Amino acid sequence: MSGPLGRVVATERKPNTPHEFHFWTSLDCPVGIGTIVRVDGTHPVDGRIPRIYGIVVEGFSYTDLQSPMHDVLGHDGVPSNAGFAATDRAEIRLYTAAVLRQIPEEPLQPVPMGEVFLAAEEDVATGLRMDAYLREGANTGIPIGVYRAGATDSVIWLDADFLLGPEAAHLNISGMSGLATKTSAVEWLLSSVFTHFPESKGSIAAVCFNVKGPDLCYLDQPASRLEDSDRALYEKMGVKPAPFEKVRYFAPYTAKGFTLNTLRSNEALMHNVTPLTWGLREVLQYAEVLLNKDDLDAKADALIDFVGERVVNRTMEKEGPLSRDHTVETFADLEGWFRDLLQGMERANTDSWRTHHIATIRKVRNRLSNISTRCAGLVTDTGNVSDLPFGSFEDRAVYVVDVASLEEDAQDLIFARVVSRLREHLERRDLGVNNLIVFVDELNKYAPNDAQDTYVRKMLLDIAERGRYLGLVLFSAQQFRSQVHRRIVGNSGTALYGRMDADELATPGYSILSPATRTKLATLEKGQLMVRHPYFTQPIFVRFPRPAVLSGRDGAERFPQVADVSIEAAIYRSLRQLDPHLTMASVQALAGRYEEDELIKALHATKLARPQNPLAFFRSRLSSIIPAEKGNRARAGAIPLRPLPIEDPYES
Amino acid sequence: MTSTPGHSDPGNDWPGSPHEAARFILDKLPGCSAVEGTPPTDERFHHGDDAPVLVPPEIIEGAGFTAIRAADPHAVRGVSGFAGFLDGTQDVRVVNQVHGIPIVWATVSAAIRVRVNRRLMAWSGSPPIVSRRYYIPFRYVDGLAGDLEAHPQIVDTARLDSSGNPPSRHPAALMEAAITRVQQDREAVEIRLAEAWCAMESRAIYVDGSITGSAVTASSPLAIGVVKSHRRLYADGDAFRMVVGLGAGERSSVFRVAPRGRSAVASWYLRVRPAAGRDVLFGLVRVEAALGDNSTERASEISRWIIAEGAPLALPDGRWDKMAYGIRDTEEFLRAIS
Repeated sequence: MSGPLGRVVATERKPNTPHEFHFWTSLDCPVGIGTIVRVDGTHPVDGRIPRIYGIVVEGFSYTDLQSPMHDVLGHDGVPSNAGFAATDRAEIRLYTAAVLRQIPEEPLQPVPMGEVFLAAEEDVATGLRMDAYLREGANTGIPIGVYRAGATDSVIWLDADFLLGPEAAHLNISGMSGLATKTSAVEWLLSSVFTHFPESKGSIAAVCFNVKGPDLCYLDQPASRLEDSDRALYEKMGVKPAPFEKVRYFAPYTAKGFTLNTLRSNEALMHNVTPLTWGLREVLQYAEVLLNKDDLDAKADALIDFVGERVVNRTMEKEGPLSRDHTVETFADLEGWFRDLLQGMERANTDSWRTHHIATIRKVRNRLSNISTRCAGLVTDTGNVSDLPFGSFEDRAVYVVDVASLEEDAQDLIFARVVSRLREHLERRDLGVNNLIVFVDELNKYAPNDAQDTYVRKMLLDIAERGRYLGLVLFSAQQFRSQVHRRIVGNSGTALYGRMDADELATPGYSILSPATRTKLATLEKGQLMVRHPYFTQPIFVRFPRPAVLSGRDGAERFPQVADVSIEAAIYRSLRQLDPHLTMASVQALAGRYEEDELIKALHATKLARPQNPLAFFRSRLSSIIPAEKGNRARAGAIPLRPLPIEDPYES
Repeated sequence: MTSTPGHSDPGNDWPGSPHEAARFILDKLPGCSAVEGTPPTDERFHHGDDAPVLVPPEIIEGAGFTAIRAADPHAVRGVSGFAGFLDGTQDVRVVNQVHGIPIVWATVSAAIRVRVNRRLMAWSGSPPIVSRRYYIPFRYVDGLAGDLEAHPQIVDTARLDSSGNPPSRHPAALMEAAITRVQQDREAVEIRLAEAWCAMESRAIYVDGSITGSAVTASSPLAIGVVKSHRRLYADGDAFRMVVGLGAGERSSVFRVAPRGRSAVASWYLRVRPAAGRDVLFGLVRVEAALGDNSTERASEISRWIIAEGAPLALPDGRWDKMAYGIRDTEEFLRAIS
């Protein structure tokens, strides 16, 4: 054990208390803001020498100078003369430390005078009460980073019971954008959780919403650079410095409908990218997300409920104003039903049908019908559904839903539906995993403190307040914690802070931190975090390694996004994922004969079915239609019609 | 009780503070009563109670008493050759009285601070000395517990003087006698440390005050005494005009000082700060060094060392114009430990 580095001092003006004490050190002592120290008392209490663990939260330095003028006079007003003085003034380094823990914990007394030592690894564990969950038999620690001070290099562990439930749960990360804090910290922490999540707690997976740029687009690719110091941190914390083994990406189509709306569109990475498309049935339940309060009066709400319960996925027989039977399975079917109903009411000159007024019917038709336009690429008229694998989630897998390039309506719809479905499956215990982490960035946008209530915010609040009982844990991030709904950040058992903006630090939420701690927060380096966790009575500063996955910026350079391609090229690229031997010529020969809408429908169906012979399957989807010559396509000469289908294995 | 910080006698019940001292003597001296709230007697006003006198200097450098430029007042401060600083303090309090007779309790202390990498710290050669004693005029006090009269830490302040007369019963006279004894004790502990330094070190030490109290220090080339008070001014007639007219960085010729009953040393006056617009003694110190080191070069070199010690300033001490920062640091150190 090394010798003492300081001594506790107390004066009438600056007394020690049970929660705070002061000590001085030599000038060259390796103590700074955030350093953990141990005080050994001198007099036993109840027969036991007290030991106090504290973290430095403030520092002072001064000399015996009583007035700055004395220094001016002493050096004749010439600053450079000070260098010639034979003696330096007596100087003090005085620190204030907040108490982390006292042993014995009762009776709780003011910190006694005593020698101050730099906390060793075991002192850090005791001071932060990590011994409670690192002991034999408990073992629920999840490493978050390494605390460093002097020669001490100590792993800081979070308790899985308090990070991922059921005791407490949820994690919130704050930090300035562009300083490798939020996304990097989450990528690192997911690796750590996947490695150290206790077996006794079952399986775990993560759903990450990629809300901006290419941040989360390359989780399955190795980092382009990982320093030795990063590898040392990985080794110390027992985490393999490797990308995630099981990653799946989900992205809707662009409005054109044949290329996926994601930055992960490079052909080399398309093998685990799945389209995200929903039909009428999937969307109607969440219509509330897309309709504003003016749209959703009680009458409209009642009609939407009626449509959902009595119209969709049912056959409505010809009756009253309806001129024919309707089977409504798609947006196109719904539009047909509305059109027939309204025409019938106009013919009958009636203004209500089944208690629903014609104006309400027109309004709901208008609002519902344009959903597929507003969320083009996500919502299909045809009813094709390609979704996350609810029910068959894999252990230690990451599911990334890329909504970065989508309009706000589509983003909201995806959040609402995906999270609701996750919640439903977790309630039924049939998601495929026992625990699920949902990562949402930009909480300033999705759960602001001061805007009107939205469906997404209500849903995030619901996860934050009740998710831990289901195993649904929210990892959230934002730049300005002060602007996020208080119940979300308040319910986050664990909070991480990267470098913070000075304006943000001036908000009341940070007033519990000392000025020196706030200053340190404003100047944190990349890879440093301040951690608050239920076991820690004070925030702790840690270092975490660079994520072992390819960063968004590097990934975008190495795997550039493909340019906007033609329908033929899009079909070729998509089908090649299923059959690497496919040729562009074979696709062109087929695609040239059909209208784009038909090709898109066939393409979606093929990608959904993932058949063994994709070209044949694709062709079979086109087979019921005899293609017409495209009028707008210049052709050198007439192309003879070929009999279709050709060698269709699905017709045999 | 003389003690060194960090060393304590487990069985020792000797008072450690004026408050304890007041309570301790209550049991030992019938009829005495505690005196509360007396401020410490400031050493500065009792250091030299001799009448101010002018003494003709016995010049040993050159033919006349002249001003010699030792350092350029406009140049940056030079390098100091001092490695250590020695000072002592005293804290004198009247803690009890019995029938009008003051019972004095005093703490005297001394320490050497050495300079390492421009910072001052306690000298490892000899720990600081802290001594706490009662000063009681036995002649005028009845009933003092018998074992205390022979106690080494109780000093009789009513001994007969050289003329065979005891001090007056007047409380002021008794206080004066007590303070004189305290000063003697203080000088004794300072001398102990100074002699230890001269025996163990090879570098110069800046001694606050005279070095004539010890034959060892008075003859050592390592001990340099710097006297800030000038009750006895070795300058008369033209010499007086020369001394008060010394400019910053100037020194007087070296003269011999041989106080009665003390050792002879070489001495000279030095103006360490410009005194324009101030009183004539502002920034004026008298330097003492061993005889034999009285060459012009040696006196000027030591003078430059002393001037170099003028930064940083010893403020807020009132004697900052003459005091080296190392001495102030030593006083603060003694205040902290005694």
